[in-house]
Amino acid sequence: MRVTVVRRVKPLPLGNVLIPSLSIIIGVLLASLVLYLLMNIPPSQFFTYIGEGFVSLETLRDFILLTILGTALIISFKGAVWNIGAEGQIAMGMLAAAYVALFTNLSSSPVLGKIMMVVLALILGGAWGLIAGILKAYLSIDEVASTLIMNYVAYYILNYLVRGPWKGKHTYGYIRTDLIPESVYFSTLPIRGITITYEEILLLVITLVFAYILLYKTALGVRIRILGSNPEALKAAGVNVKLLTITLLAISGAISGMVGAAQLAGYLHRISYPIETHTPYLGYTAILVAWLSMLDLRAVPIIAFIIGSLNQAGRLLQIAGVGGIAVTYLFIGTILVTFTILRVFSEYRIKLIRG
Amino acid sequence: MDTIIQSILAVAPAFTAYYLTALGHGFFEKSGVLNLAIDGVFYLSVAVAYASAVYMGNPYIAILISALTASIFGILLAFIVTKLPISHGAAGLSLMFLGYGLGALIGNPAVFRFREIKMINIEFSINIPRTPLTNVALFTVSLVACLVLLYILKGTKLGAAIRASGEDPHAASVLGIDVLKIRLLAGTIGYALIGIGAAIFELVWLPTWQQMHGMGHGWIAFAISLSSGRHPVLTMLTSTAFATLLTYQYLLQAAYNLSPEIAKMTPFIAAIAAMTIFMVTPLRKKLSPPLSLGKIFFKEERTL
Repeated sequence: MRVTVVRRVKPLPLGNVLIPSLSIIIGVLLASLVLYLLMNIPPSQFFTYIGEGFVSLETLRDFILLTILGTALIISFKGAVWNIGAEGQIAMGMLAAAYVALFTNLSSSPVLGKIMMVVLALILGGAWGLIAGILKAYLSIDEVASTLIMNYVAYYILNYLVRGPWKGKHTYGYIRTDLIPESVYFSTLPIRGITITYEEILLLVITLVFAYILLYKTALGVRIRILGSNPEALKAAGVNVKLLTITLLAISGAISGMVGAAQLAGYLHRISYPIETHTPYLGYTAILVAWLSMLDLRAVPIIAFIIGSLNQAGRLLQIAGVGGIAVTYLFIGTILVTFTILRVFSEYRIKLIRG
Repeated sequence: MDTIIQSILAVAPAFTAYYLTALGHGFFEKSGVLNLAIDGVFYLSVAVAYASAVYMGNPYIAILISALTASIFGILLAFIVTKLPISHGAAGLSLMFLGYGLGALIGNPAVFRFREIKMINIEFSINIPRTPLTNVALFTVSLVACLVLLYILKGTKLGAAIRASGEDPHAASVLGIDVLKIRLLAGTIGYALIGIGAAIFELVWLPTWQQMHGMGHGWIAFAISLSSGRHPVLTMLTSTAFATLLTYQYLLQAAYNLSPEIAKMTPFIAAIAAMTIFMVTPLRKKLSPPLSLGKIFFKEERTL
């Protein structure tokens, strides 16, 4: 008797729904088991927090930003270009927005100031992605490694500025920049307990519409999808695959950079040192969102909401004294490991052969 | 003269931590597995080393436990990417996150235990004292590890099999090499070194713990290994350069007004520069990544 892995004739029916759902359930169960064994946290308490995460108003901000980021990543993932650098692109976007807000006169005009913050964040985030794109297209340097490495370069550039030339005058001994002018704060919705802003909702809608049109209504979108499944056919058809790869990383980086501006103007309002411990690692969490959505744009908001809720559950546990980011990483890990293994079975199956 | 020798010896902890980690990483990647789990497992190993030293009171046992923990992850990664048609990047990053989560959960409670012990026994410490002798021993260990791995890679059948599995696993498998076995072995040895490197980072170089302590240093080792084309001897040079830079980052700031941020950034920029150089110059032949690094190795129907 042998156990073998065989390719399915057709993908597993409903696999696109079944596999992410199962991964989330099994992943959360595994995480609760680990929390019970290592930290003696009863699973009932963990599940209560997850429940609270699902109905908490604070989840909404993660939901919006993760949907935007998940969409940004899907655009490049569709073309099998694996942008792991959203975290660095966010940092560069934040840098761009902070520059506009703190060091130019644009902040005296709220509308123009906010628009310029977002535009410059798009440009700088896009440039950060563009570098990885050029390295991949012309030197075949793996984008996973280069985008990852560039996350750290981005962190340290920002840290350098915050410790050095950008260090604020009114910081009470903390190493951080001054607050950006209130005129360029994004405007919070007038509902108690809500921390999301009109501008973020607007950016979310624009991003989703843009991604939908780009992927499904343009020739470029068709090329992106073929790049993911059959790059050789694309080359044979005379498409400039190098340029396409660079474009994908630039678009994906630009949208991620925009999220950096949204974080700064939406709720951070200043950059604190060191940046890597003051942002909620959405750039990495978004990878989970993009993968679990099975690269389906419609699934992104749903998965973003679920992951946002789990994130919130992690924060609630932190208040209870366990360390929020640790829990977030733990369930990202358990869900992703489960998903990575389960995904094999949408295209392959396990078969028993006698003899 | 003494001060020169002393300042060279003072680099030993950082050098050994980065070198062993980068060496293990490069060795594993030679077998064709893209190793993106490195930072997560490094962080986990740092936490495990700290916790074992606190609970067991013996830093040497802590090194061993740390190496074993890391090896389990190496075996796991090698197994799933060789047996199943799974993306190396996805598998590696998943394990990275798992490492981050587990590491924080293992390290955090040990801090409280450490304080309890300190209350009773003020002398208690987890670190291996940084005497000149320790530093010499660390350099020796690194050198021995370098020579052993160099010999394995260049002078033995096992080394040829590892390189073959990295260049073209399908051809290797046709020639009778058991790619899975080879990668499991490379994963075990490579990750044991990563675990030891992480333990030295924690127990000799920076013996403290707070959440996030050690995070990112696995990527520095990753960058060190990339900048030297995964070559054991060249890795020694890049490790020396970056370990010196990072050991003296605050001194450099005082003396030359060089920001520590720039010092931390250098290995990463060097890695990208080196990858570029390796791809466009004749060095490509010697130092470019294994041809099948990160490629899915899967035959349509196979025994699990």
